[in-house]
Amino acid sequence: MQPKIATEIVNSLKEAGIDFVASLTEANLHELVMLLEKDPGIRHVPVTREEEGVGICAGAYLGGKRPAMVMMNAGFLLSTNALATACIQPGIPILMLIGHSGGFGEENPSHATLGMITEPVLQAIHIVYEKVGRLEDIRPTILEAQTLARSSRRPTAILLNKEALR
Amino acid sequence: MKRFDCLKAIAPHFQDELVVTNLGGVRHEWYAARTHPGNYHLQNLGLTSSVGLGLALALPHRKVVVFDGDGSLLLNLGSLATIANQHPGNLIHVVFDNSCYESSRGAPTATARSTDLAAIARGAGFANVIFTQNVKEFEAGFLQALKSSDLHFILAKVEPGAGKVPPAPLDSTENKYSFVRYIEKTEKIEILVSPPSRASEIQEK
Repeated sequence: MQPKIATEIVNSLKEAGIDFVASLTEANLHELVMLLEKDPGIRHVPVTREEEGVGICAGAYLGGKRPAMVMMNAGFLLSTNALATACIQPGIPILMLIGHSGGFGEENPSHATLGMITEPVLQAIHIVYEKVGRLEDIRPTILEAQTLARSSRRPTAILLNKEALR
Repeated sequence: MKRFDCLKAIAPHFQDELVVTNLGGVRHEWYAARTHPGNYHLQNLGLTSSVGLGLALALPHRKVVVFDGDGSLLLNLGSLATIANQHPGNLIHVVFDNSCYESSRGAPTATARSTDLAAIARGAGFANVIFTQNVKEFEAGFLQALKSSDLHFILAKVEPGAGKVPPAPLDSTENKYSFVRYIEKTEKIEILVSPPSRASEIQEK
């Protein structure tokens, strides 16, 4: 990820009121995760498995934080039970930033299946999402995704495509 | 010792501590032992420790007690590493280890044979690990953790068997609202967003 994209994401998260982020890193998320770790305005919790992060974010929300998760789509797919039972069922919002490996521009053949099933699974568990790549789209999408998460009391997702991840 | 006897022994010591209970018999038993708006009865298996961690990090001045089980923790062993690294001094992670999947008709868990959750907690980085085998030890260990301002892991080796209590009326959405309203009131913060009123704008026009 380009440093200017990572900076735009962190600044937009803070503008949206996000003060708590759980993450699991990946090569394409490295710059973002390192920025989150350094930022004094965000409580950053690196996790060992993404569904753990869903639980941590749910608990943080119950305690008054405004949480977000940063992960790849492999981690989102791991977390569907956690999202259904710990967030969607009770009505707990989490803004999810999901790196979309296996999408357009993917060079690694092993990511193709993950890439093609990510959107159908988001739709299957009724999570509203947008796909973002260009720098200028990041801020408005994050602000609006968080507005919907808070008003609907449900998780929302932003899929970061190759343009954002490279 | 039985899990319900442990819960009954410590219930009188609770004041404004927040509690996260595991899916399974413990939620009904704790509801019977101490009904309180600061109880969050999580209806997911595995994430009890993680929800407790998030709550403890969000409210570092409030004590958070997690009532977990062996089957649940075995689903989320990585959470021990995360909790130990975050090291919230206000979190007490209690694990009632009955060595079986009691709510799923009792097949043995890994702790019935080789696995030692207290050793795993130590290895994950917990400095304060208390192992208890009778109610007196458990109550003393819990009180020690409650008075301390450091992270604790308490393993309670219990016999299988649920307390004779009525099923708790625990709708997860209702529990979320009552818990969040309790936090809003006691912490004087707003968690649930209030929708903006359009009526006043229309009147002004």
